Amino acid sequence: MPLLHAEHISKTYPNGTQALKGIDIEVEQGEFLVVIGLSGSGKSTLLRCINQLHTVSSGRIVFDDAEITALKGRRLRQARSRIGMIFQQFNLIPRKTVLTNVLSGALARTPVIKSLLGMYSAEDKQKALAYLDIVGLAQKAYVRADNLSGGQQQRVAIARALMQDPKILLADEPVASLDPSTSHSVMKYLQKINQELGVTVICNLHFLSLVRTYATRVIALKEGQLVYQGAPSDIDEQWFKTIYGEDAVEVSIN
Amino acid sequence: MTEHIIAQPMSIQRYKATIKAWCTDVLIWSYSCIVLFKIAYQQWWLDLRYVDFSWHEPLYCFVVAMVLASVLIYTRCSIGKALFGLITFKEGQSIFRASSVRLALVKLLLTFAAGLHVSQVSMHEFLSPSGLAGAQRIFSALLSPNFAIFEDALFAAIETVYMAFVATALAIPVAFVLAFFAARNLMKHSAASFALYAVIRFFMNLTRSIEPLVWAIIFSVWVGIGPFSGMLALFLHSVASLTKLYSEQIEAIHDGPVEAMTATGAHPVQVIWYGVVPQIILPYLSYTIYRWDINVRMATVIGLVGGGGIGTMLMQYQGLARWNEVGMLVIVIATIVWLMDYASARIRAHLK
Ligand SMILES: Nc1ncnc2c1ncn2[C@@H]1O[C@H](COP(=O)(O)OP(=O)(O)O)[C@@H](O)[C@H]1O
Ligand SMILES: [Mg+2]
Repeated sequence: MPLLHAEHISKTYPNGTQALKGIDIEVEQGEFLVVIGLSGSGKSTLLRCINQLHTVSSGRIVFDDAEITALKGRRLRQARSRIGMIFQQFNLIPRKTVLTNVLSGALARTPVIKSLLGMYSAEDKQKALAYLDIVGLAQKAYVRADNLSGGQQQRVAIARALMQDPKILLADEPVASLDPSTSHSVMKYLQKINQELGVTVICNLHFLSLVRTYATRVIALKEGQLVYQGAPSDIDEQWFKTIYGEDAVEVSIN
Repeated sequence: MTEHIIAQPMSIQRYKATIKAWCTDVLIWSYSCIVLFKIAYQQWWLDLRYVDFSWHEPLYCFVVAMVLASVLIYTRCSIGKALFGLITFKEGQSIFRASSVRLALVKLLLTFAAGLHVSQVSMHEFLSPSGLAGAQRIFSALLSPNFAIFEDALFAAIETVYMAFVATALAIPVAFVLAFFAARNLMKHSAASFALYAVIRFFMNLTRSIEPLVWAIIFSVWVGIGPFSGMLALFLHSVASLTKLYSEQIEAIHDGPVEAMTATGAHPVQVIWYGVVPQIILPYLSYTIYRWDINVRMATVIGLVGGGGIGTMLMQYQGLARWNEVGMLVIVIATIVWLMDYASARIRAHLK
């Protein structure tokens, strides 16, 4: 039984854009799955359908033995809490400390009243500090999150996602707004989480060189359709041109 | 095939724009006809003191305007066509050389001239000897204020500031909650919530479009003349204004944190508290202080219609033509307004 199973999902936005056109994927526990494709090919939409930030137009997604596409309200929130997500723009809470940001990953299991007063359990506070330590930011716990550099902010976002005790981590172009060396450091944290904590990762990426280094499996989208599934090492010149178009040249990031 | 599909809606759009342009022209020319006839011809040229009015006149003007507009719509002189993008202005040429723009300027000039006439602008009265004597009397009285009423004026002024403060303070929580329901980006997702949004917006706009002065008159009949009616008037107006400003702030937030909080599985209330509130808190404070500042000024004006405080005192002395006392009050009011203005500007600068 795969951890995540998307069956023939399609997504049409209210304005008529067909972002996904019948996609099937299975993701096994422990994989580091990378999704590639041109911008506009539907990568972000796919990730957002998995945790139901967007609803699918047809098809269904089964996550951890539950059909997440059919869940609502409390049950949906519980399912979401087991899916971490990080974003290209980090999406931290402005004007709040790093620690508060990390703790917000525990909202789903904190009673509403307590969370409004900022009262988290002692256990969660310890956990937050421990995860900050894992991403190398233990020193920055009480600094305002918007005062950190891009790479540091993304690591806070990773710690926040880890607070959810996620089974799966969705990463939507997590390094697209970072410089090359910072990109690698962030990707290494994702790899560490994948390998040491056993969290399954689904990551949208732009650069093939990163794909080859970190992915255990690759899928490629083109205009909302799945055009490639396989090992990262199997992507050759031919496939590259199919995915990115005839005129594309590979740029690498070191 | 594709071209055909694209071409069709284009011509429909052009057709619609032409109709709109024609309607605009009819309105503009109806207005011009009425102004020319009633003000320029009857009041100014014939110098009639009392002009009769009958509903036939605007009707005739309307008919004339329809004829004119129907002719002009085929020319480049149509202001409506220029407004709805049906006239292409020549590249590199000043737009003031286009006949439609020149025509619009003429209308503007006509309105200005008519406005001068209606406002009874008269240099003759402004500089007449008796007028100047009056001015001298009031200015010299104002400049020698009666300090005997200083204490009374101060207490009245404090009443005004408190009234404004309470009105603002009570308005904050109400507006805070209403603003979430008046923010399009939070309410557009379902038909029911959007209906609520529309209703709240409607009532807020209605409340806001009625001046606090008018509310004060209404409330002074309801709860009696005094600070309470003034406070209620300011409160209502503040709720409406703050709701609008707050909700605009909510509409301008970044979606990112909201999305991130939703993705953690947080409850909608938690999403708002963690994803929305931190983004809006500073602008909120800034607007609220500004509102208090405005309310102090408005409270003074509202006092003139019996809303209590220093405004009421001003009205009483003005009624008795005791200009020395009025002078004292004017000084106190000016000082308070200046102080509030200064303090609120300083605080808001620090909040940036
Ligand atoms: N909220 C939205 N409303 C309408 N269309 C959208 C929305 N989000 C994305 N799209 C469209 O859906 C397609 C896929 O977008 P996206 O999933 O963001 O692609 P990618 O992440 O691969 O760049 C694009 O054509 C995009 O314009
Ligand atoms: Mg994207």
